[in-house]
Formats: sequence, C-alpha cells, structure tokens
Amino acid sequence: MNDTALLTLIIFAPTIGALFVALCNPKADGRMRAIANAASLVSLVLSIGAWWYKFDSSVGGMQMVVNHTWIATWNVNYQLGLDGISLPLVLLTCLISYLALLASTSITKAVKGYLILFLLLETGMLGVFLALDFFLFYVFWEVMLLPMYFLIGVWGGPRREYAAIKFFLYTLVGSVLMLIALLMFYFDSGGSSFGKTFDIVALAQIGQGRDASYQFTPFVQMTAFILLFIGFAIKVPVFPFHTWLPDAHVEAPTPISMILAGVLLKMGGYGIIRIAFPICPIGAQYAAHALVVLGVVSILYGAFAAMAQTDFKRLVAYSSVSHMGYVLLGIAVWKLTEGTGETVGRDYWQMGMNGAMFQMIAHGISSPGMFFIVGVIYERVHHRDLNQFGGLMGLMPLYSGLAVGIFFAGLGLPGLCGFIGEIFTVLSTWNYNPLYAILAASGVILTAGYILWTVQRVYLGAEYKGPHAEGITPITDREFGIAAVLLALCIVLGVYPELLFSQMRASVDLLVDNLANTKGLIKAAADVTGL
Amino acid sequence: MPSDATQLGQTLSTLLTIAWLLPLAGFAIEIFGGFWGTRQSKAAAYIAVACIGTAFLCSVGALLYWGDQTDWAALQPHHGSGHGEAGQAEGDARAAAEHAAAHPSHAGEEVDVADHAQPVSGAGIPAGAWEHNLANAPEHAAPKSFSGTFYVLAGFGSLRVAIDWYIDSLTLVMFTMVTLVASLIHLFAIGYMSDELTDDHEDHQVQTAHGHLHRPGRFSRFFAFLSLFSFSMLGLVLAGNVFMVFVFWELVGVCSYFLIGFYVERKSASNAANKAFIMNRVGDFGFLIGLMILWTYFGTFQFANRVEDGVVMPGLFDMLRDGDGNMHLSDSGATVLLDDGSDAAAGIHEAPTIPYFLLVAAGLGIFAGCVGKSAQFPLQTWLPDAMEGPTPVSALVHSATMVAAGVYLTGRFYPMFTPEVLLTIAYIGCITLFLAATIAVVATDIKRVLAYSTISQLGYMMLGLGVGGWGAGLFHLITHAFFKSLMFLASGSVIYGCHHVQEMPRMGGLWRKMPITAFTMLVGVIAIAGLAIPGISIFGEKIAFSGYHSKDAIVATAMTFADLNRTHFLLFYAPLIGAGITSFYMFRLWFLTFAGKPRDQHVYDHAHESPRVMTVPLIVLSMFAAFVAVGGEEGKLFLLLTNSEPAGVANGLVASSPSNLALPSHEAVHARHALAGTFALVVAALGALVACVFYGLRLVNPAEVQRQFASLHTFLIEKWWFDELYDMMFVRPVHVVAKWCSACDKYVFDGILHGLAKGTVLVAHWDRMFDEQIVDGLVNWVGRVTYGTGSLLRLLQTGRLRQYVMFIVVGVVGIWVIVQIFAS
Repeated sequence: MNDTALLTLIIFAPTIGALFVALCNPKADGRMRAIANAASLVSLVLSIGAWWYKFDSSVGGMQMVVNHTWIATWNVNYQLGLDGISLPLVLLTCLISYLALLASTSITKAVKGYLILFLLLETGMLGVFLALDFFLFYVFWEVMLLPMYFLIGVWGGPRREYAAIKFFLYTLVGSVLMLIALLMFYFDSGGSSFGKTFDIVALAQIGQGRDASYQFTPFVQMTAFILLFIGFAIKVPVFPFHTWLPDAHVEAPTPISMILAGVLLKMGGYGIIRIAFPICPIGAQYAAHALVVLGVVSILYGAFAAMAQTDFKRLVAYSSVSHMGYVLLGIAVWKLTEGTGETVGRDYWQMGMNGAMFQMIAHGISSPGMFFIVGVIYERVHHRDLNQFGGLMGLMPLYSGLAVGIFFAGLGLPGLCGFIGEIFTVLSTWNYNPLYAILAASGVILTAGYILWTVQRVYLGAEYKGPHAEGITPITDREFGIAAVLLALCIVLGVYPELLFSQMRASVDLLVDNLANTKGLIKAAADVTGL
Repeated sequence: MPSDATQLGQTLSTLLTIAWLLPLAGFAIEIFGGFWGTRQSKAAAYIAVACIGTAFLCSVGALLYWGDQTDWAALQPHHGSGHGEAGQAEGDARAAAEHAAAHPSHAGEEVDVADHAQPVSGAGIPAGAWEHNLANAPEHAAPKSFSGTFYVLAGFGSLRVAIDWYIDSLTLVMFTMVTLVASLIHLFAIGYMSDELTDDHEDHQVQTAHGHLHRPGRFSRFFAFLSLFSFSMLGLVLAGNVFMVFVFWELVGVCSYFLIGFYVERKSASNAANKAFIMNRVGDFGFLIGLMILWTYFGTFQFANRVEDGVVMPGLFDMLRDGDGNMHLSDSGATVLLDDGSDAAAGIHEAPTIPYFLLVAAGLGIFAGCVGKSAQFPLQTWLPDAMEGPTPVSALVHSATMVAAGVYLTGRFYPMFTPEVLLTIAYIGCITLFLAATIAVVATDIKRVLAYSTISQLGYMMLGLGVGGWGAGLFHLITHAFFKSLMFLASGSVIYGCHHVQEMPRMGGLWRKMPITAFTMLVGVIAIAGLAIPGISIFGEKIAFSGYHSKDAIVATAMTFADLNRTHFLLFYAPLIGAGITSFYMFRLWFLTFAGKPRDQHVYDHAHESPRVMTVPLIVLSMFAAFVAVGGEEGKLFLLLTNSEPAGVANGLVASSPSNLALPSHEAVHARHALAGTFALVVAALGALVACVFYGLRLVNPAEVQRQFASLHTFLIEKWWFDELYDMMFVRPVHVVAKWCSACDKYVFDGILHGLAKGTVLVAHWDRMFDEQIVDGLVNWVGRVTYGTGSLLRLLQTGRLRQYVMFIVVGVVGIWVIVQIFAS
C-alpha cells in the first residue's frame, strides 16, 4: 500500500464507516455497532501496520510524507506524515478510540447518531496528528470540535448543555487564536524560499533560522507563540484555562470521557511540541519560565483540587490537570546561558522533552482507564458520590483489582507507566530551576494522598453505603477485557519504557537539537529586544 | 584472574537473579489463586514457600560459591588488629594513576561484569579495560564487588537510566538473611493464616448491619502479596543504582500498603495502610530531591563504575571519593571536585564539580527516604499503626526486612554522605531510639511493644552508622532481623493461641500452655536486651546472644565518637540509657505474657500451643537469634559484612570537609570496646532486674508507679502527641488548601467565566433591543410608510379603462409641459 493510501485510510476509515452507518436502519443496533467497530479497527490495524512495517525509528525527520495540492490558490496542500512524535499519539488515538467504542454498549439513546459522530470525531483526531499542513491541521482541529460538542450535549448527564457549551466556547477561543497565528505565519512567510506557505516543516525551518532567504522577526515569533500557546494550553488544559475539563468530563458519557482524557488533551501537548516550539523558538525561549511555572502550578493545583472533590469523575478530571502539568513542565525546561544563547544541560532538556512525550502516552493510557473504571461502577449504581461507596473489593473483586492497578498507575507507582513520565520530567527540572523541581516533586505526596483516599473510600471498607446496592454485579467479560488491556499496557510501559522511548527518541532529539541550534537567533533577538 | 572474576560475577548474578525473580513468578500465579482454586486450597502457600525456599537455596549457594572462589579471604581477621592490611593487595589502577600510592584496601574493588542485555560488557570485556582496572592487582586478589546491567530503561544523550545489579558481601549476606527469614515466615504463615482457608470467614472486628462481617477467606491473596513483597525487597538489595533502589523502595512500600490493609474491611487497617504509604512518600519526596541533585551534578545513578567501549565511566562512589575515601574540595572549600573518569588533570577538559552544600542536601535527601522507610523520628508514627496487618507481615515487612531497608541504603550509600549528614543521621537515630523506647515501656498491646522496640532498634542502627560504625550498624541490622522476627512470630503464636487477644493485661502465665513459644521468645528477649554472662567462656567464646555483640559494637563506636567529639556526648549516653530501657520493656513483655498468674481465666483456658508448622520456624529463628553473631567482631558475620566496608572507614575519616568532625577508626573503637561492653551490660542487667522486680516478682505494683507519674504516663500512652501534632500541622491544612483550590475553580475561574457569559448575554440583549426598537423600528417605519403610500395609490387603481386612459393623457400632457419648461 502506498503512503498516500495508507495514511488517508487511517484517517478516513472511520468516516467511511460513518457513511455506512448512516445508510443503516436506525433500529439495526447490532449491525451499526459492528460497522463502527470494524471501521475503527481498520484504523487501528493499519496504524500498527504502518508502525511495524514502514516506520523507521532511527530516522528523526518526517516519514511517509504525502503531499498533494488541495487549494492551489492559497498554497494549501493535503500534506501528511509521521515521525516519532506523532506515531505514538496516532497509535494511542486508534487504540483508545477502539476501546471507547467497545465501551459504548452502555449508550442506548439514538445509537445511529452517536456512532456517526463518534467516527467523525476519530477522523478529526487522527487528522490532527497526521497533518503536516497547518491549514489542514486547523481543519481537522475544527472537525473534531463539533462532534464532541454534540456527543457531550446530547448523550451527556443532567448538565450536559452547560458542559457542552463551555467546552465548545473554550475550544473555539483556542481555535481563533490559532487561526490568527496561522494567518500571521502564512502572510509573513511570503519572503521565504517557500513563498507563502502553511507547511509546518517549512515554517519550522523559517522559524529556526534555517531558511536562507527569510526569518520571522522576534516580534512575530513572540506574538505567535503566545497565541498558539494559549490556544493549545486550553486543550491541555493548563491552569488557569482548565475549568472546562471537570464539567465536560462529569457530563460526558464514559466512552467520551475516555476519548477526552486519552486523546483530546494530548492534542494540546502535541500542538506545543509540533507547532508552537519549532516554529517560534524565540517566543518559546522567552516564555519558557512562565511555562515551567504554569506546569508546576497545574501539578499542585490539580492535585489539591482533586483532593477536595466528592464526585468520582470530577476527581479523576482534576487528576488529569495535575498529570498534564508534567507534560508542560518537561517540554519547557529549556535553559540558556545569559548572553550567548547556549543551551545549558542539553541532555536534561532532552530528557524532559522525552519524559513529557512519555507522560502524554502514559496518561493517555491510565486516564481513560480511570474514567472507564468510574463508568463501570456508575452504570451499576447510578451515582458518583465518593462518600457513598465502600466495600466494592468484596463485592466486585476482579473489578477492584483492576481498578487499584490502574489507579496506582495514575499515582505514579514504579513499575507502572505513570511513574516514568513523572520522574523523568521532574529529574530534568532541577537543571532548570531547583525550586520548581522541588515543588513539582512535592506533587508525589499529594497524588498519593488523593488516590489512596479515593481507593479507601470506594473499594475498601466493610459495606457498600450508597443506593442501588442490588445493581452491583461482577464485571462482564467485555469490561474486563477493556480494563485489562489498559492495565497491561500500563505495566509493559512501566517495566520497559525503552519500548516507547526507542520509537520517539530520534525525533525528539532532532527537535531538541534544532531548537538548541537557534542560539544565534536567540542571542540576536535578545540584543534587539533588550530582554 | 580477570576471567575468573568475570565468571564469578556472572555466576553470582545468575543465582541472585533467580532468587530475585522466583517470588515474582510465584506472585503471578498466586494472585489468581482465588479464581483458579477453591478457598480451602493451600496451593498458593506451597508455591510461595517453594519459590522463596528456592530463592534461599540460591542465595546460600551464591554466598558459599563466592566464599569458595575467594578462598574465604573475607573471613581472615583484618580489622581486629588494624594492621593486617599492609600485606593486602595493591591496586585500583585509576586510583594509582592519580595518587602516588594506592590505598591497600581498595585493591581491584570494582569489577564490571557482563550481562546478556549489554553486549558491551558481555562475555568479551575489552581486554584493555581489564588491564586498566586490574593492572596492579596480584593474581589472588578477588574483586570486592561485581556489577552489571540487566537492561536500559532509557537513555538521553550521555545520560542513562538502567536496571543494574551490584553484588558484594553485603548484598550476599542481605540476600541470605532476607530469604531465610522470609522462608521461615512463609512457613509460619501457613499455620497463622489457616483460618482464612474457608468460604465463610467471620471477621470479629468488623461490625455490619447484620452482625459480624462474613467474607470468603483470602489465603491465596495473602501469599501472593508476601511473594510480591519478597521480590521487591530482593530487588532493592540487588539494585545497582540508586534510581533502581527508589523503584523497589516504592514497590516494597506498596506491598506494605497491601499487607497492612490486608483486612480491607477494617477501617483501622485501611487508615493505617494509607498512613504508612503517605508518610513514606513524605520521606520519598526527600529521596527524590536527593536524586535530582545527584542526577544533575553527577549525571549518573550507578554505584559502581561501568566500562563502555573500553572507557571507564565512574559510578557515584568513585566520582566523589578517591581510593582512600577522601573527597577533594576546592580551595575555598565550597565546592567538591568530581572525577568523571576523564583525565582532568591533564587539562583536557574541566572536571565537574558540585557545591558542597548541595552534596549535603543530596545526602540529607536520600537519608530522608531512609527516615520514612525505617520509621525514624520525625516520621516514626506509621509503624505502630502498621501492626494492623497480620502478624507474619509485621515480622517480615515491619521488623526484619523492609523497615531495615532504610538502614541498608544508609549503609550502601555511605560514601556519599558528608560528615554533617552522618552527624544528622546519628542524632536522628539517637532521638528515635530514646523516644520509641520510652513509649514501648507503657504500651500494653504485645505487637505495639515490639513495634516500638523495632523503631528503637532501627534508631540504634542509624546511630551506629552515623557515628562511623559502618560495620556495627549493619551488623545490628542482621542480628536484629533474626531476633525481632523471632519475637514477632512468637507474639503471633501467642495471639494465635489466645484467639486473637493482643492485650498483655489479659495474658499471664502462658508459659505453661505454650512452652515452646515462651522459651523461644525468651531467647529473643535476651538477645535484644544484650545480656551476657561475663567472665565465662565456652570454646573461647563469650556466652552471649547475637544482640549483645551487635549492640556492643554500636555502643563502643558511639563511645569512641563521643570521646573524639566531646560536644556530642549525648550520642553515647542515649544508647546506653536506651539499652537499659530496652532490657526493661522486653522483660516486662515476657513476664506479663508468660509469667505469673493468668489474669484472664477465659483466655488462659482456651490458650494452646501452636501447631508444628509455626513452632519449627520459631525454633530455627531462635537458633539464629542466639548464635548468628558468634565471635562478635572477630566472628564470621561481622567479617563478612565489613568486607564491603567503604574505603576509608576503617582508619577513621578525619574531616575532609569544612566541619571539624572526626570519625573513629577501628583501632580506637577496639581500644574502648571492653569498657563500653561492660557499661552496656551493667545497664541492660539493671533494666532486666527492674522489670523482674516490677513484673516478675511483683515486689512493686506497677499501677502504683503509674499513678505517681500519671501525666508522664499519659504523655507516653499518647505517643508524645505526634499523631495529633501532625494532624494539626499537615493533614488539616492540606485539606483546607484543597478546599480553597476547589472553591477557587468554582467561584473565581468559573465566576469570571460566568460573568463573561452573563456580560455577553447582556450585550446580546441590548443588541436585541437595539435591533427590535431602533433598527426594526426604522425598517418598520419605512415599511409602514411604504404600505401607507401603497394604500393611497390603491385608490387610484380602479380597473376602469377610461379612467386609465385619462391618467395617461394627463400624464403625457404633464410631461410635455415639464419638458417644455426645462427645454426653454
């Protein structure tokens, strides 16, 4: 299969599935689900195939690049590609989408519409991770937004409209900021050897001063970086742009929460790594300190807020805020020598960046797991009040075992995936600033606190204290399968993280090298701006 | 010979790896025991015992093989006289290259050995490296440590994090001790946990709406967790870098969490489990800070040197200290020069450095982890609560192995500690041993007495290490493991025999009912009290149990240290007084439990001796508790341990730092040994005597004394109010801040957002008003006007042809007139 067909099919297989679902009789529940599952599975299998047979982990640059003219007038291209940064996220997206689809059996209302929107959402997410054209990226970004709005707003809980609107508006603000930056780049790149372009790789070259004929001015870089960063930070979400997340999670149905936590949040981090940093190294460097601070604040604030929650899902949502703080922290620990622009302790930054990528994947596995675990019990007892559980260990031993495993992955227990991302980002932070490193490290105590307290209130104890005790039944094979796959991945990545690091190392290293090599640019900018 | 050494290291690592991984395999099977088998099946226990038993055999095999291959060179007394070292090997090329004369005791100390995952250091170690390492070593000199890599976790540029192994005599002794104690405790647990072998276990301590809680037994799960713990503990000991220590550090922590909270239905148990884990995490936070500092300044976590592509990459120890155990400070004394293996002296590049205060901070950080794990002041409060777990757990995890891991790491990491850190360690140990001992005096729960005793004894070990007695501290670690696990198991046997009664005031006179338990417990009590019969010896050995020797070593070192550093005299008096208190509360425990008249006839009548599966481990452990330290500091155990002693300790470390502390040398300690031993023995005997007067002979009524000192008694019963203090200082503030954060989200961020939304709606409202009133008004007006005009015009539209013709005519005429007017 050639690259065009392969990547296109990975992105659009769900869309094709959606078309077939649309043709079905709305009452043919089983058939529609089967079609949706199959479509999602096609993407999963193809992405694994692309990784296994075509991807070369020793290459740092883009692979399987596809480039076709789309809108010639504006130099917009249908441009796709994979590297070590996007590949793990594509695999994660396919996997989590498939598992979330399997977990969608609980959805019985308007199944047809649900499945169509779900599949369109998957297409949007995959497109974002595969697009190399900023315009295309933006289009996919928006494509993902609408289905999500309806999935929360129609299939959600009691306050679904509020949550959906909140989600939509927050994200839309981000999109608008991104759109401004996108147009800035487009019109400003006119002087470069590429002409006016949306090509992310080309823009990065211009931004990093590797284009012979043109460079972005420090002003453009800083402005664009701030716009892009806020746009992506909303998605991550970074304190103080995070308040949409708890509401969206609480109201969204379980599978959508899984997608939201597992994939959507990663798009923010991916945007920062793929677009904001490479295209605007000067802006990134100037903002690095603020980014580190925001990362640390997110870690601690999210953990504190999680501790105060009584809604099970809300607690998990805040834990996401806390865990994604490590991502921002790891990306941003870029330290320069005053004056020369020389990167200090390049290896530590490289470690932070790798750690941040690892943390994204690790969180993308453990967090959907946690939401799924919450969903399983919610389906049985129809409430999420942490103070009205207890004793589940005795009533649902297998489920509780899996739950404890997945929660410990979130807690950052060694041997499970959460540990590696957290500790590597934290270890790399001392080189940047000891104080922030210490603050970030203190998160381990808070995390242990709220997770253990939750486990105690939900799973331990003598008796179940809440309503609908009669509904508590052992988990089904399907539920067991979904949770077991996630837990198994947590263990594999926790015990042998090199499995993942080896795939993304070349690309991350290349990025770090390229950025570190902008020292001349940064020094010149410092001379000009006097900052 | 290099190749022999490689071979030896390879064999040792294989044996210990098997010993390490077997319990993990056991865990993987046992955890599903409840699903695969019936609740009555003991299969899980047999698997667990087989795994840990085989692990023990492998460990012993490794120890014996190592001894055999080295001709038991370690057992030749070399420290006793303090002069025997001169004849030893000369070596360590790197040290030799830097210093004109290499220190003798450092001979070929580091050997990097092969591993399957690391072809670099695999079967064919580059010959050059070996020449480099062992060029000067005489043929018979065996390396003191072996190291290698299992696999790499991740590498970033020159940085590398891996799963390594490091084997020296300390590792071998620890492996043997851990697997032996664990095997015996596994056996014991088969008996102790047998009431879990049922589908309908009744938990008398949990009251539900329908009476006592009934649940299926969890025999398999218990053994699964024990196996997982054994695996984690062995991994901790085998670890070849401090990151890996941290990994297994947390894993033993989580096993401890599961085991303390084994009775998940009991609120007290789950609270205790949470407390244990979270307090350990507080320590680990410090550990993490230490790791960050080391990582940033040393760029490696490895203990040992590593040979890569023929280049020696020094580990932490060799970067910081030379062959004599000295650090090299800059002229100002503010920074420490590190040796990264490249030839900095030749001016090829600048050697890395670390600010001295950060080195101190790193040491304190790592030690903070040890404080948490070993329940030292100020993080001691979790261990007594941890007694909520089943008694075999208390014996294995919370006395013999896991809590001793803090001491082990302090010993392992010894070269990294500056004198300031060592002094801190000594004082922390000193405070802990005294504090815990005082609480033990008033505790009435048999397990809690032992728990406080454990904390106190761990304090002794820390003190020993802190005052420069590396061998003494670790010596006590090993002996303590035997006698304390013995006593815990004996108390378990009592609890089992008395049907889960733990309060000593309800016991008494039990020796008649359970003689084996009583006798073995007495062995443990004498061992921990440190009693001996002076003046008499059999076969040239003093008549004394293990605790006497090891505690003696600590007290002697402390005394010497206090002599050298007069301001720190407390470091000697505290352990001395502590020895008396220890002796007192341990005999109190024994008398209260086994001697005198039964105080609760019901308990007494139903008490019985435990089955053989429980008493045999007791007897075996009592043998070890009695005799493991035979020979004291000339004995085999001590010599084995001190074979791994970091360079420089033997001769006393004299202040290669800004501080003015001096650590005692072996000779100095040896000189005061007899005196210190006499002091300790007298005090211990006094303690035992007082206990006998109070509780054995009942000449004084303890209740009387209790009334006399009521406030002191309350203070001790309330454990110096630490729990309340911490609750007020930390737990509640954290919850308050958590509430603030949550409220901040709700009222501030969402408030702003809702404000914005309201504003937008308001603007929209105005917009609508504007639209409806003004824009629409205008449009409507235009519409109305148009409509009105239309209505008027309609009057003209009559449909009569003649009228239309007339309009046309009038129109034409009108136009003609207008045209005429304008044309002119």
